[in-house]
Amino acid sequence: MKYPDIDKYAEMNSPIHHIEPRIKIISFGILIVAAVFAGSIRAASLFLILAVLILILSRLPFRFILKRVKVICVFVVPILVLMPLTVPGTPLFSAGILVFSKEGLLFAVLVAVRSVAAIILVITMLGTQRFDTTLKALSMLYVPGIIIQMLLFTYRYIYVMIDEFMKILSSMQAKGYRFRFNRHGLSMTGNLIGMLLIKSYERAERVYQAMISKGYTGKPISFSSFKITGTDCLFCSVAIIAASGIYIIYPGLL
Amino acid sequence: MKKAIEITNLNHQYSDGTISLEDVSVSVDEGEMVAVIGQNGAGKTTLFLHLNGSIKSSDNNVLIFGEDIGTMSAEERICRVGVVFQDPDDQLFMPTVYDDVAFGPTNMGLSKEEIDRRVKEALETVGLSGFEDRVPHHMSYGQKKRAALAAVLSMKPKILIFDEPTANLDPKSRSLFIRLINDLNKNNGITTIVAMHDVNAVPSVAERVIVLNGKVVADGTPQEIFSDINLLEENYLEVPEICKMFCILGCYGCRCDTVPLTMEEAALALDKMTGENGGSAVIMRDEDTSEKVKGTICRFSL
Repeated sequence: MKYPDIDKYAEMNSPIHHIEPRIKIISFGILIVAAVFAGSIRAASLFLILAVLILILSRLPFRFILKRVKVICVFVVPILVLMPLTVPGTPLFSAGILVFSKEGLLFAVLVAVRSVAAIILVITMLGTQRFDTTLKALSMLYVPGIIIQMLLFTYRYIYVMIDEFMKILSSMQAKGYRFRFNRHGLSMTGNLIGMLLIKSYERAERVYQAMISKGYTGKPISFSSFKITGTDCLFCSVAIIAASGIYIIYPGLL
Repeated sequence: MKKAIEITNLNHQYSDGTISLEDVSVSVDEGEMVAVIGQNGAGKTTLFLHLNGSIKSSDNNVLIFGEDIGTMSAEERICRVGVVFQDPDDQLFMPTVYDDVAFGPTNMGLSKEEIDRRVKEALETVGLSGFEDRVPHHMSYGQKKRAALAAVLSMKPKILIFDEPTANLDPKSRSLFIRLINDLNKNNGITTIVAMHDVNAVPSVAERVIVLNGKVVADGTPQEIFSDINLLEENYLEVPEICKMFCILGCYGCRCDTVPLTMEEAALALDKMTGENGGSAVIMRDEDTSEKVKGTICRFSL
């Protein structure tokens, strides 16, 4: 079974891979927040360049990143089209009643650059360490236990769900089912999702029983020993300096 | 002999009113190895969930080493009874094997060093050393099954319960798992209860067999249970293949006093047969043979 693992390349060897997980989350967190609030296209572009530099440094395959950045385009492309039409301002050109405004276009570009920069940073962060490590680091950063446990179970059972989904789908296909966008096709898809829900509900009961039998009392569970080194502190400082530097050169928040 | 498990008149019904257990009384000695057999929906899993306190009986009639399981704290409970569930994906709920095997000991409040030691030991016992950082979705079913056992062993339970341990396993993993269960019982003295449909494996793991069908239908040695064809028929159960083979041999005049259930017993029975007959066994066909064979095959086909 081929899974869409986000941490497929977590075992690679690069300076970014070696950063201590907590420091990595903090540093990337700072950069992501800073990129998202960048007030001008120039500032946002600098963050995008920074994100790409970090990505190159991390040696993650470009195709792996591209595949995931594509997802964000689903949201970005409509913004690029709609913003110039809805934000009033200097008209660039018009077609009938539709008027493309310059302000709208600039704003849309700003949003696009910011989101691409942020998503590259997120993928680089998640892609350079194992997902369970990220969760353990989050737990050590005092993220509430309930959230950690929810993420933990999501991560563990998403694969089981994929397996179950594929099993139901292939047994449907074995009986000649082919998806068509019509009433029958949609109702079959509905059945599939319904089956998946029932199965996951039943599994949840069994998992809970297994947890009880291992003494689960609701307390968050975390075991990890991370060590912060000088290099980690240096990376974090560089991230903070870079973020504040960009804000000093191009002041302004959105 | 100390009593490990004592259940008296246990009743249970589902919320829709279906009775799953009726007046079940079972007592198991310390170090004993018991197989519970019964058709689907016979109440095996429900019985097991009572044994580890996942389902609490209102009558306080499930005693583990003389103590009521319902009043025990979680820590006490888990170091007494460990359950290995049928589907390892239900039991391995943590992201890595290490986290999973360490889950129980952590809940017991042990120190980090002790947890590490127990995880290492448990993984070594099941032959999965070096799997600490592996994620369950990249492991084979057999490996997941052994990891689930390690996750229970790390709590060092005195009683181990297996729900369908050999289901869905390939022959090699199956025999490996059966050997593991046997070793744990013989070498570590762990009281073991196994639920299984795999009747061919039952005689090689259990000294005692309980037939469950909502209530305890029969309780005896594998020999007693598997020689009672009527009992098996009524409960939709099968006899081991070796047993069937010797019944067919019986139709050809090769009779033995006790029908063997395992390969070892089969060799012993043949030794005895040939010993009594001057070193050879005779297979004879007469006019009744084909009738007898037909009858035997008919009797064993469910």
